[in-house]
Formats: sequence, C-alpha cells, structure tokens
Amino acid sequence: MDVTWYLVLSALLFSIGAGGVLIRRSPLVILLCLELMLNAGNLALVAFARDRGDQDGQIFALIVMVVAACEVVVGLGLIVAMFRRRLPLNVDEMRNLRG
Amino acid sequence: MIQVILWLPLAAGLLCFVVPRRAVAISAILGSGLVLGLAIALVASFHTAEAGLQHTVSESWIPDLGVRYQLGVDGISLFLILLTALLWAGVTVFSSFRMPDRRRIYFFMLGLGETATLGAFLAQDLLLFVLFFDLMLMPFWFLIGAFGGENRIAATTKMIVYTLVGSLLMLVAAIATAILASDQVGQLSFSIADLRAHTLSTGSQQWIFLFFAAAFLIKMPAVVVHGWLPDAYRAAPLPVLALLAGVLSKVGAYGFLRVALPLYPQATVQYQELILLIGVASILYGSVMAFTQTNVRLIAGYSSIAQLGFITIGIFSLRPDGADGSVLQMVNHGLVVAPIFLIIALLWERSGSEDLARLGGLAMRAPVLAALFLIVTLATLAMPGSANFIGEFYILIGVFQAKIVYALVAVVGVALAAFYAIRLFQRTMHGRLAENADSREIALRDAAVLAPLVACIIALALYPGLILSRGQAAVQDKVAAVVSNSKPVAPNAPSVRAESGWTSYAPLGASPTRGDR
Amino acid sequence: MSATTYAWLVLGLPLAGCLVNALGWRSLPGRAAGWIGTGAIALAFLNSIAALVALLDKPASGRELTSSLWTYASAAGLDIKLGILVDPLSVFMILVVTGVSMLIHLYSISYLESDRGYARYFSYLNFFVFSMLLLVLAGNFVLLIVGWAFVGFASYALISFWYRRNTATKAGMKAFVINVIGDVGLVLAAFFIFRELGTFEYLPMFQSAPQQFSTNEGVVVAICLLILVGAFAKSAQLPLHTWLPDAMEGPTPVSALIHAATMVTAGVYLIARMHPLFLQAPTAADISAFLGLATLIFAATVALAVTDLKRIIAYSTISQIGYMVVGVSIGAYAAGLFHLMSHAFFKALLFMAAGSVIAAMAGTQNIDRMSGFRRALPFTSTLLIVGALSLAAFPGTAGFFSKDEILAFAAERGGFYWILAIGGYVGAFLTAIYAFRIVFRVVYREPCPEARKLEQGHLAHAEPQNPMTGEKEDTDVGFPGPEHQIAERARPMAIAMAVLGLGAIFGGYLQVPGVDHVLDTFLAPTFEDSPLHSGIHVSTGTAWAGLAAGAALSLLGIATSYYLYVVAPQTTERLRERAHAVYAFLIHKWYFDEVYDTLVYRPLIAIGRFADAVLERVVVQGIVAGAVGAVRGVGVVVRGAQSGFVRAYALLVVGGFAALGLYFLIVSS
Repeated sequence: MDVTWYLVLSALLFSIGAGGVLIRRSPLVILLCLELMLNAGNLALVAFARDRGDQDGQIFALIVMVVAACEVVVGLGLIVAMFRRRLPLNVDEMRNLRG
Repeated sequence: MIQVILWLPLAAGLLCFVVPRRAVAISAILGSGLVLGLAIALVASFHTAEAGLQHTVSESWIPDLGVRYQLGVDGISLFLILLTALLWAGVTVFSSFRMPDRRRIYFFMLGLGETATLGAFLAQDLLLFVLFFDLMLMPFWFLIGAFGGENRIAATTKMIVYTLVGSLLMLVAAIATAILASDQVGQLSFSIADLRAHTLSTGSQQWIFLFFAAAFLIKMPAVVVHGWLPDAYRAAPLPVLALLAGVLSKVGAYGFLRVALPLYPQATVQYQELILLIGVASILYGSVMAFTQTNVRLIAGYSSIAQLGFITIGIFSLRPDGADGSVLQMVNHGLVVAPIFLIIALLWERSGSEDLARLGGLAMRAPVLAALFLIVTLATLAMPGSANFIGEFYILIGVFQAKIVYALVAVVGVALAAFYAIRLFQRTMHGRLAENADSREIALRDAAVLAPLVACIIALALYPGLILSRGQAAVQDKVAAVVSNSKPVAPNAPSVRAESGWTSYAPLGASPTRGDR
Repeated sequence: MSATTYAWLVLGLPLAGCLVNALGWRSLPGRAAGWIGTGAIALAFLNSIAALVALLDKPASGRELTSSLWTYASAAGLDIKLGILVDPLSVFMILVVTGVSMLIHLYSISYLESDRGYARYFSYLNFFVFSMLLLVLAGNFVLLIVGWAFVGFASYALISFWYRRNTATKAGMKAFVINVIGDVGLVLAAFFIFRELGTFEYLPMFQSAPQQFSTNEGVVVAICLLILVGAFAKSAQLPLHTWLPDAMEGPTPVSALIHAATMVTAGVYLIARMHPLFLQAPTAADISAFLGLATLIFAATVALAVTDLKRIIAYSTISQIGYMVVGVSIGAYAAGLFHLMSHAFFKALLFMAAGSVIAAMAGTQNIDRMSGFRRALPFTSTLLIVGALSLAAFPGTAGFFSKDEILAFAAERGGFYWILAIGGYVGAFLTAIYAFRIVFRVVYREPCPEARKLEQGHLAHAEPQNPMTGEKEDTDVGFPGPEHQIAERARPMAIAMAVLGLGAIFGGYLQVPGVDHVLDTFLAPTFEDSPLHSGIHVSTGTAWAGLAAGAALSLLGIATSYYLYVVAPQTTERLRERAHAVYAFLIHKWYFDEVYDTLVYRPLIAIGRFADAVLERVVVQGIVAGAVGAVRGVGVVVRGAQSGFVRAYALLVVGGFAALGLYFLIVSS
C-alpha cells in the first residue's frame, strides 16, 4: 500500500491533536490531545520505516513512546497535584508565569 | 615555590571550614603569614639582571584549547606579589581582631581572593590570566555583599556589572587573539610568550587592544568608567576596601604591562595619546573630586583614581623610566592606601562617623596614631623623600620626555594631592575634638598591623632603588618591544585579516600538546 | 676626618635628636627633650665649625668636595645618589643655620616650658634643622627637592603646632600648599635640566651649562623661571608671599627660626647655588631682581599698617628677603648672603624679643595695646632696640653694612640696575620707620596695664584667646602653656638673645668696605666662575658713599618714626582718616589674599562641586542609569509575549512551524 495514505491519516490525527491543544481548556484533554499528536508522529515514522525497509523509524517510534509515557506520568501527576490543591482545572486561569 | 605561594591561601581558606571555630582566625593568619614569608623568600632569590621570567612552571592543562598552566615571576610582578602577600597578611590580622559573624566564610573568601590575585600576577598564559582576573571578582562580591554596610547589594550589583562587562570584553579579546594568531603560531595557543612572538596585524590589534584596555581601565578604575567606585567604596567593609584599593586596582595597571604592551605593540603606540588623555583626566578629576568630598572613604577612593592615573600615564609614556616608575608607584600606592583605609576603620571606631564634618581633633590623646597617619598622608601626597615621590618623579620624567604636554598638566595633580591629603589629615586629626568622638590611642594589636606597613613605607622611602633596579630589566624588555614593533607590519609578512582569521583557525583538537619549554 | 665626614655628622645629629625626642616622647622627664634637641644642634654647630676648618685647610681651588652614602634610585637612565656637596657656600649656610638654630633651641627650652607638646615640639624643630641642612648640603637637584619639601613639611607641622586652633591649621595648610606649588616648580625645573644636561648632580650640571646653553635660550630661561617659582614660594616673595604672615600662628621661636632666619632664606640660597644657570639666563635673573624689589617695597608698606606685632616682623622679613633676592640675582652673591646672615641675627633677635613681650602681654599681639615696657622689661627692651637698629640699618650695625653692600653693587652695575639701588634706598627709609614704630609703640610712652603689673612683679595672666579671631583657646595642647616666660626671668632665653644681640651689632664687621672682606674671600671659590663676581668691583669710594646715604636715610626714618609715634601720636590717626583708601589698601595687604581667594581657591572649589554634582551624578551615573533603563525598556517590550496563557504559547509554536513550513515550501518551489 502506498505510504501516502498512512501519512494522510497521520496528518489528520496530528491536526485533530493540535486543534484540541489549542481549543480545549481542560489540562486533561490537552494532555490527551498531545498524546494524539505524538501517536500521529509515530504512525508516520512507522510508515516511513516500512516504506524504506529498515528499522530506523521503528526505533524512533519506540523512543517517542517512552517519551510519551514519561510525559503522561509527569502531566497526570501535575493534574493530580492541581486537583488536590483545589486549583481550577482550567489552563486559562493558571497563568502565574505571566511576565 | 610559586605554586605553593599561589595555592596556599586557598588551602588555608578551606582549612577555615574544618578547624574549630576558635582556630579559624589562627589558621587564616598562619596561611597568609606563610605566604608572606614565601613571598619575601621569592624576592630574596630573585635575579635582578634578568629580564625574562623566573621560577617558571609550565604544565599542560587543556591541550585541546592550547591552554597551559603557565606561571612565572619577573621584575614587574615580583613586588606586586610581595605587596599582595603583605597587605593580605595585614588585613587578615586586622580582621581577626574584629571577628565578623560568619567568620569561616569570611576568611575563606579572603584566602580565595588572595589566590586569585596572586594568580593574576603569576599567570603567563593569557586565558589563565583572564580566568584569575575574573576569579578575583567573586570573593569580593561576597565580601562586600555579605559583610558590607548600607546599600551593599545595589553597590555590589553595580560593581559586578561594570567589571563583568570588562571581563567579558577581555575574554572575547583573549580568545580572538589566540585564534587569529594560530595561523602564525601553527596551533592554538594562549601562551603569552607565543603570542608575543607572533603579533597580530594592526587592524585586529586595534579592537583587541581597546577591549583589553576597557577591562583594565574599569578595574583600576579610570575616569568615565569609575561609576562603580563611589557606591562600592561606601558599602565595602574597610579591611576589604584596603585590599580592593591596595591590590586589586593594581591588577588593571599590571595588565597593561603584562598583556597590552607586549601583545599589541602597534595598537599601543596608536592609542598612546588616548590612554594618556584618560590618565591625565583621571588625575585631575580624581584630585578635584577628592577635595570636595566629605566622606573619608571617598576622599581616599578618588585619590586612588588620581594615583592610578599617574601609574597609567607612566606606563603609556612608553619609556623605560616612566614605566619603571609605574612599577614602583603601584607598590607604593598599595602600601599607602591600605593603611589609610585601616586608619579610617580606627577613626570610625573612635567617632562613629566617616564624615569630615563630624570628625576632628582625634590627635590629642592619640599621638602614635596621629604620627602613623601623618607618615601615610605625606607618602600619599608624594612628598619628596618618600618612595611615592620617586615613583611620580620617574613617571613624570618619562611622560615629560615622551609627551611634554601631558606631563605639564599631570603636574597640577601633584599640587592638588597636597591639598586633599593634608585636608584629610587635618580635618580628622586636628582642630577641636568632634562631638561624640573619643580620642584614644591606637591599640597595640592594631599598631602591630599598621606599624609594619608604615615601616615598609619608610624603608622604601630610604631605598626605592630596591624596586626600581629589579623592575628595570623587565620593563625595558616590554617597552623596547613596543618601540621596535611599532613600525607597521611589512607588506610581505603574512597578514591575517579579521574575517579570514575567524574561519581559518586550526581545527579544535588538532593541536598536539606543545613542548616549547 | 675630612670635611665631608663632618658634614655628614652635621646632617646626622639633628636627625638623631629628632628621633630620640620622637620615640622618647613619653619617657623623657622635664626639660630633657629640650636639652637633647639643643645639644644635638650644638654638636652639629661644632661639627660645622670643624667642617669649616677642614675646608680652609685645603687650597682654594680644591674646596668643592662631594660624598655620597648610597645610590638612592638608579634605573632606566636616571642615577640619583644620596650625595652631598661641601663647598664654601654650603659650609657658610650650615654655619648660619646651625648657629642660629642652636640659639633658638636654647630660647625654646624655656619659652615652651609649660607646653604639653614639649617633646613633639623639639622633635619637629630638630627635624626642621635636619631638613634645612639637607637642603643646603644636597649635592644634586633631587636631594635638594627632598630637603626643600622636608622644610616645607616641618614648617607646616610647626605652624599648626597648636593644632586645635583652627586658624593655625588653616595657616599650616596654606603654607604647605603654596610650598608644594614651589616644589612642583622645582620638579619641573629638574625635568628640564635632566632633559637638557642629562644629570642632576650639581658639579657636572654647572660645568656643562655654559656649553649646553646659549645666553637667554628659551629652555634655560624656562628652567630659571621654574626655579624662581620654587625659590619665591619658599622665600615668600611676590606673588607667592601670602602664606608667611599667616605662618605667624606658630609658636614665636618657630617664627624666629623658620620664618625669619633660615627656611625663608632658602630661596636666596637656591638662586645663589644655581647662579651658573642664571648667568645663562640674564632675563630670568632680571625678572627675579625686579620682583625682589617689588616685594621689598610692597612688604615695607604693609608693615607700616598692620598692628599685629608678629605680622609686622613677618612683613619685614618678606621685605628683607627682597633685598637678598635682589643681591643674588644681580650678581652680588657674597653681599646677598652677607645680608642673609645679618638678617638671621637681627630678625631672630626681634622675634625673640617679641616673644618675650607677647608673653608679658599674656598672649596679646596687637601693638596698639602695648606701651611703655622699658621699665618692666629692661633686658627685652634693650635687645628689641638693638634688633630694630640693625633692621633699620643704623650706622655701625650688621644690617647697615650688609644692606648697603647689595645696593652699592646694584649702583655699580649701572644701567637700569640703578632703579634697584634707588628702590632699595626707598625701602630702607620705610624699614627704618616701621622698625622704630615697633620700638616706640612697645617700649616708650605710658606703660599699659600689663606693663604696670609687671613692674610690680606680677606677670599678666589671661584666658588664652586666639589673637586673630578672639576665640577662646582650647588649652589642652598648650599655647606656650599656662605659664608664660619672659626673658628677664628665664636664663636660656636671655643667653640666646644676648648672643644674637652681639651678632646683630658686630656681625657687620666681617665685611667693611675697604677694611676687610672675609665672606667675599671665603665664598670666592663657589662664585669664581661668574663674570659678575670677578668682573664688577665696587670701589671703596662708591661703597662709602652708599653707606653714607644709607646712614642718612636710616636716621631720617628713625626720626620720622619718632615724630609719628612719640612726638605727635595723633598724626597716624589723622593720616588714617584722611587717606582712608590707602590705609584700607595697606591693612588688607594689597588685597592679595582676597584676589587669590576669588581667582584660585573659589574656582577650584566650584569646579569640584560642579564635578561632584554634574559630572559625577549626571554623566557618570547617568550612563549607568541609561544602560539600566535601556535593558528595562527592552524587558518591558518583550514581557508582553509572556502572557501566561498556555494555549497562546501553543498557538505560537504551531503558527511558527506553519510559517516555517510555508517558507521552505516557497523556497523549494
């Protein structure tokens, strides 16, 4: 099968993820959308690997998964911490780092 | 031996963290005393006639960058090392009688400062010099920031920003020098001896010289870039100030002799008048400011701007007599300005004020203190008969023969010095006793610090030739290099244009360790 | 021992005395410090005589000896030795200096007896003598500058000896700063000399000067004018004289020693010493001579008006040094130095007598309040008159012969030097008037209350107060101490005054025209290279004619003074009212202080204030503030981007990537 279709799907997924990150306010959903973006990237990598017939893309995908897992851990930890402190679960209200 | 001199103060400083609280001062005093002893031995074992370096150490350090751990002593740095050791020992003892709260960190910082300063005087590798030059800043930042008086944070910030600007310019200039010269040297090397043998083209020399000059002038400080001085001098603890004015300011002037003259001879000649102008401006401005101030610290501070102006013009007379006078004057000025600040500390203890308006009449029950102060004052104003006079005499005779106009203007500074120095002495010691002031004699322990310093002033006054004769060979060497090199580079010499120099340096890591020594 | 060894001893003894007194200030009992100081100078005087004898032992051509202890500074082409030159001129000077100093030390033993700073005083005084001897014995120009500055410092230290008196410290500062201006002149002269002649040593310098310079060449005139700056600052000649009257704040013996007999004549010595240079620069020598003339007349007029006893004598000193400067400038070297010697005698004597009178007045120095001390202070009065006679050049006294020798020489040289002679005689007339103004005010007329009390055997006591401001003194540091000393009751003072009195009368017989010329012969080896010295001889007839004119003017002056102050005392009042402007001009000392204040001091202070307020605050700190402000400003602009909205950041990232992608698309297509 042509690699194009995989790439189209990957782009679609990435756009959905990016749109979610830009539009939604809940940190949980944003995290979810980030995952979506990463997986879109993974899809593209694996597709390329298959297309080229070597393992480089696969290895990259594996690394991205590891990074994604780490990120989820940190992100969820943050969200739990926010929840425990009874902070609003809304990224627009969390702007203490304003310059 | 110079290895020990260099690192012993730091070791003693570190020792302050481990010994029991009571022994902190003792370990610091022992350390600085030992360094002083070694420095005296260094002077004793010095060969007067040699122009080159003695007691050299040269170890590979960062071969990839061509940085070597190179140390050495010559006639220029010899007495500055002794001065550093002497003043540090004096200040350490003086401070130990007025134990600050966080004494461990205080004495550690003093030790670190001494190592850094000695390092700057000993280093014979350009990058090593820059490194020690910047390292000096750090302990003084802490000493002023942590132990200083009112408004110390703002003052240190200002000082750091000023000196850091200079330091960074200097770092850039040092790296640029090595890279640009690597074509001719054959590899990347920061060794001053190497760089001196292959000086840069006139175009690159110009901006590099200006960068170095900026750093040195800020450190001294010279007029226009002295903005950090009033605040820092107001805030610094007095013993620390004695070191700041007595030793650190000399590193700038020393840098001119060690780095600027040998490495950038054409630029030196080209910018001679500019630096002379800055020097003369420093003399006049410093003197005029010194006699309008009422804060005694600032009087001493501005007077050192003027004195460093003299030292600068002496070096930039580009004559052996002027530059030799500058070498002498660097030591002299350190020897007089440090006791002045220590005496100011004593005055403050007696009257609780540093304002001339609220001082006065302190001589009455303190004849010994007054006598010591008087001798120091007379040396400050370079009264004929003092070593300071011989220093200024040499400096001015050099400038006089090089550029007569500057000498004639600078001479005004000599007359003004008499006015502000005597004013400082009179307004504090003479007249009616100020309110709330307590005229009491100098304590034995303080006299034990001040009297040896004053004895050194008198001894030098009797025989200034001690320094002059040891300095002259090295100075001659530096100055002769400028004069002989000042001709423009011959057209067939391999000229390195700045642009091409940046891209065509030898690849990092390609240079093997050199074995020039 | 050779003459130089004695000379070194002459130098060393006062220094030793100074150190002993300085280090032993706490442990020396009673008057020990005074005796140590006096003893050291007395030994130095004996050694000076020994040096003289040793020098006379040599043939006249071999009377220039040098000796050096160690090389002071030798590097980079300069070679400065710690060396002395012993020749007739320096031996003459050390004899005068140690001789007069010894007597003044002796006087001080009693005069300052109850002062708290007794040891300090003698330490300073010995240091002064050491410095002065260093100045005259120095064998090179640098050592001369050292001695020059040392005497300046000693003078400063002794003027502000009573350091709790504000006027004293101010006067000390003024003296010091003006002297430093003189030092600077000498330093610059040294630079020129070194550049032109390549040495600082006197003998090579003088030998090569005639070959090196053509007459009145710019450089040599510049050198001589710079030397004159030094000489005039030290000798209080116009226009650098303003410090000397203020210097009277010091103890009276100090005024006698430093500000009359020795230090202020250093300028005369210097001009005489540098005569080989001045011979090449006759213009400078003439300028010097005419400034000397201007000074001598100016100071004499002021001395007619001021009322402070010590300041009258101070202006008289300025005036008399004017004569010496005229003398050594026109080539009458021996005459100038002869006057230096006789002046040292009679002026020191006058100051000593004045000190005794001031003590009897319990510190008051205003002569308008003094009168009729002849019975209360018979001894002091006698010697005051002796001093005044010599000052007024009364026939037969020392001042008579020495002053007229200078003027006769000026007349003999002819040309416009006649002006000097005539001006000198005018000055002599004024001198006689003011000298006897002192005498008639202090000694004659009805006794004042203090004198009356003293006649009954009670020395006046008063709360010490500052004679200038009337402020009450802080007595912790003395002010001749609570006990005042008068010569009648203190033997050392009386002995010192008596010896000087003999000198003031008979000192002149060293050199009487047509009879003997001891000094001339003795000093000849030093000055034989000068054509003025060997070429111009005052004939005995001219000399005696001059002496006759001088005697007549002196007597006329004394008579005028007698009429003004004794016969018709109201005359001065009437003169004062009628010529008010002239009087104000004189009493303000020709407004020199005021002019310097507005022209030099105030502008300097204003520049300082300006530098502090404008340059420092605005420019230097302004640059810093500007830099800081710029950084802040950039910060404010950039800060806007940091909104704190996470989604905004995300949008920026996405947008940025999109833009980048777009860019590459466009580029690649």
